[in-house]
Amino acid sequence: MAYKTVERPVLTTAEKLYLPAVMKGLGLTLKYFLKRKKFTRQYPEEPTVVPEGYRGLPSLVKDDEGRVKCVACSMCEWVCPPEAIRVIPGELPGDDPVEKGPKEFELDTLRCIFCGLCEEACPEEAIFLSETFEYCGRSREEMIFGKEKLLEIGGVRAEGVKKWKKEADAGFSRKGPRR
Amino acid sequence: MPTLTIDGREITVEPGTTVIRAAEMLGIHIPRYCWHPGLSIAGNCRICQVEVVKPKLRFPCTVSCNLVASDGMEILTDSEAARKARADVMEFLLLNHPLDCPICDQAGECLLQEYSYAVGRDKSRFDEEKVHKSKRVRFSEEIVYDGERCILCTRCVRFMKEVAGEEQLAVVERGDHAEIAVAYGRELTSPYSMNIVDLCPVGALTSADFRFKSRVWFLTNVPSTCTSCARGCSITVGARWEKIQRLTPRENPDVNRWWMCDHGRLNWKYVHAPDRLGKALVKDAGRLAPADTDEAVRRAHQLVNRFVTKRGADGLFGLVSARLTNEEIFLAREYLAGVAGVKNLDVRPRTGEGDDFLITADKNPNSLGASLIGIAPEEGAVGLEGFAEAVKAGRIRGAVFFGEDVDHDPEALAALDSLEFLVVMDYHLTETARKADVVLPGVTWAEKEGTITNVDGWVSRLNRAIRPPGEARPDLSLLGGLLAAARPEEEGLDRPEAVFEALGKAVPAFAGIRYADLYSRSGRVAVKAAAAAD
Repeated sequence: MAYKTVERPVLTTAEKLYLPAVMKGLGLTLKYFLKRKKFTRQYPEEPTVVPEGYRGLPSLVKDDEGRVKCVACSMCEWVCPPEAIRVIPGELPGDDPVEKGPKEFELDTLRCIFCGLCEEACPEEAIFLSETFEYCGRSREEMIFGKEKLLEIGGVRAEGVKKWKKEADAGFSRKGPRR
Repeated sequence: MPTLTIDGREITVEPGTTVIRAAEMLGIHIPRYCWHPGLSIAGNCRICQVEVVKPKLRFPCTVSCNLVASDGMEILTDSEAARKARADVMEFLLLNHPLDCPICDQAGECLLQEYSYAVGRDKSRFDEEKVHKSKRVRFSEEIVYDGERCILCTRCVRFMKEVAGEEQLAVVERGDHAEIAVAYGRELTSPYSMNIVDLCPVGALTSADFRFKSRVWFLTNVPSTCTSCARGCSITVGARWEKIQRLTPRENPDVNRWWMCDHGRLNWKYVHAPDRLGKALVKDAGRLAPADTDEAVRRAHQLVNRFVTKRGADGLFGLVSARLTNEEIFLAREYLAGVAGVKNLDVRPRTGEGDDFLITADKNPNSLGASLIGIAPEEGAVGLEGFAEAVKAGRIRGAVFFGEDVDHDPEALAALDSLEFLVVMDYHLTETARKADVVLPGVTWAEKEGTITNVDGWVSRLNRAIRPPGEARPDLSLLGGLLAAARPEEEGLDRPEAVFEALGKAVPAFAGIRYADLYSRSGRVAVKAAAAAD
């Protein structure tokens, strides 16, 4: 078997004492202790600022007229890999061209993996991954968030798809009044 | 007989066959909106255009639904010219379409979506204001119309006229204001009106019952058979979350073609009624108390066995439902007539109004099966009609009701109180079941497998679409349990397939039908019970 003989290093007296090396190390520690950059944040007293594009809890949004943008098409429910979303559609009253909306919208936050596919699939730009990451509950049931809670987290987004707005505002059609 | 070539494949057809039908025979799908095999040719949607290479036409493309095949004809269904023609038609059809697919119930089974995906363009060139028409118009209790989605193919109008035989719908107004409406001075009252919801190739006609309940791609579709009358239309059960969402007719040339009646389509709510039995009940000190199912089956057999040993089978009455499957009725007869020797066997007849199309006057789905298997009082024995009297006279002292009740007859119901024992198997707690000593928890048609024989002798399959509630079990397994308790030395019989085989051996009418042949998504779904029709 091939082998190689390694020569042991010859230590000086100072090195044999170890103490100078220990002092040197302690000095370095002291240097960083005195003039370091602080990375620690005093969470939760000091709120955390999340980076742009952060994928937090999915949430529902309203438009600037206070209307729920979701039309309960269930694309998010379909695409959701862990099946965390459950939409129960319902008919909306009145004669708005938007006939359908979510009667219930459940998000099982314990199942959600924050992949963002729901946001990507949504044709109405009604669901967004928010910056919310702090939420808790005492039971599994409490961790299933309903429509109201998700709307509260999502807030208002004026921009984006407002498919129905354009024509409703015009109020008339070139072919005569709207019937 | 003309021989023509479609996409390079030759086919010889009957004279008068249209090109779209000839293509269908070759398995080539030509897009269509207004054309339906069960309706007359309208030729108004123009999406079925194909390129006619021979004979030479003035324009290369024409509609295939109204083009009669001729000898030496050469057709290309997917050539560049044909695709271009269809793309142009799509553009016109979508000019004023609201594109509200996220809201529309038809999404997922919409022909506009399908053909748009195949030949349509991704952006509309139309930048004018779209024409607005009436939305959410109630044609009837059950049908909602959306004029903006409608492409005016008139399938619904033709269905009402040609199939339902009642002209209740019409096209009103002209040009781009044209809409479908209930004809002036009429109402949409046909008992077959909901077929127009299935017929509608787009989302213009939707069912009020199914409206916004679930997107269609979430449904688990199980082929089954309607049990609302003796016609036994082939249906598809769409279920989700262990709940039926809708029933739709399934093509079956022998029984119902493409149609079914509205009553059958909507008659599934009782499957999810709150009075469903989820547990066996056994009378304990005068009150029904929940019990283990196997225990209840043993107890039921014990009651029957004791009675027969003590008093003989003449004092025992057996009521077997004609709503049960062939297999269940067969096992019920095996148990009652074969094991206990009961001669007083009967079914409860159910009659109502029928018509000359699909709805039969007999409302029991399996009357023919029951009579073929031999559920009828023997000469001189007690039938359901004489039941109350026979109990009063002391002739009948015990009864077994399989899947049936006598709630309709107050006299019979009162007579149950003076019985020595009563065993009931049912899917819900009827008044009759409340008086029983043992209640066995059965299931409905949606939760079990088996076959039923329709009025003309066609045998079709039921398939399990949803899970039964609680500890309820398919009736066949309960009956199998009773038989096993009676004949412990024999091999158990509670698989539908095995029972059907045994049925074929015992009842000649069912011989020669293979159980496995009955379950098929396409082709022949029903096999005629040989001696049944006559």
